[in-house]
Amino acid sequence: MDLLQQRVNQAHASGDYQPVIDLIPYAGVLGVKCERFGEEMIFRLPRNLDNIGNPTIPAIHGGVIASFMELTAAFQLTLQLEHPALAKIIDFSVDYMRAGLDRDTFAMCTVERQGRRVANCSIIAWQERKSQPIASARGHFLLDSFSSLT
Amino acid sequence: MSEKILGKCRRFLGSLAHMRKLQMQVIKADEKSVTVVLPVQDQLLSSELDTYMHGGVLTTLVDTATSLSTIPALKEYELCPTLDLRIDHMSAPVTSQPMYAHAECYRVTRNVLFTRATVYQENPSKPVAYAISTFMRPGAGNTDLAFKALVDGVEDTV
Repeated sequence: MDLLQQRVNQAHASGDYQPVIDLIPYAGVLGVKCERFGEEMIFRLPRNLDNIGNPTIPAIHGGVIASFMELTAAFQLTLQLEHPALAKIIDFSVDYMRAGLDRDTFAMCTVERQGRRVANCSIIAWQERKSQPIASARGHFLLDSFSSLT
Repeated sequence: MSEKILGKCRRFLGSLAHMRKLQMQVIKADEKSVTVVLPVQDQLLSSELDTYMHGGVLTTLVDTATSLSTIPALKEYELCPTLDLRIDHMSAPVTSQPMYAHAECYRVTRNVLFTRATVYQENPSKPVAYAISTFMRPGAGNTDLAFKALVDGVEDTV
């Protein structure tokens, strides 16, 4: 059993997803966290001065928000696949709707369609209220590149 | 002129905490385009998996480069928020090489700036990713003056 499969199984069993997140170094640099509520996984980007990209408001760097959403999708896929793998990104598109203020940010990913080779994901990110997202994104991930990751 | 633009870009980048954390640097900036580098660094390498799973940090690099490309496109510095960003990934970047993002702002209107970027490693003619990004102009007087002065630098205000 490969490392990823092992980590994912353990995480599902214990409810502690940090060992899976730690597999991707940039997720650690950003400080991404993950919690499971029944079927739903919510990812959290804790307030962090190192993530600021607009010192005047101050607001979180747009690239950080996009990366956080992209990682949310990658982890969501990894955790819900029958045979876990780090999905390979094909394309990613994000629309910014509000400034991401210097506070905790949350994100959720919905896998809209999962085919044999490609998964289509949509992601929203919010701070105060989920009904007032700061950004929404969509992306495609390739699922058949497992061998390179084992 | 290029010197001035390079100075502005470097001061802008230097003022952002996240860029300092990632050691991103502007290596080239002129009237048309800006090139930013993300050096190889331990904090982005995984000891457990032989992969960058680099998507995440590539996105930050692109957002930074396209944002910087708005500086030479505007006469006066304006802090432009991003409207959207799209990235197409051609191939997975390798962990052993720095990543470069070359960005240009190809259209300026009264309200909106259109930019595009390519990300490459060893070979600029074989990009690992293409990106487009759109920025909103804040409108006259809506950029924080202290921050504008910081980006403009001392020599430009004389």
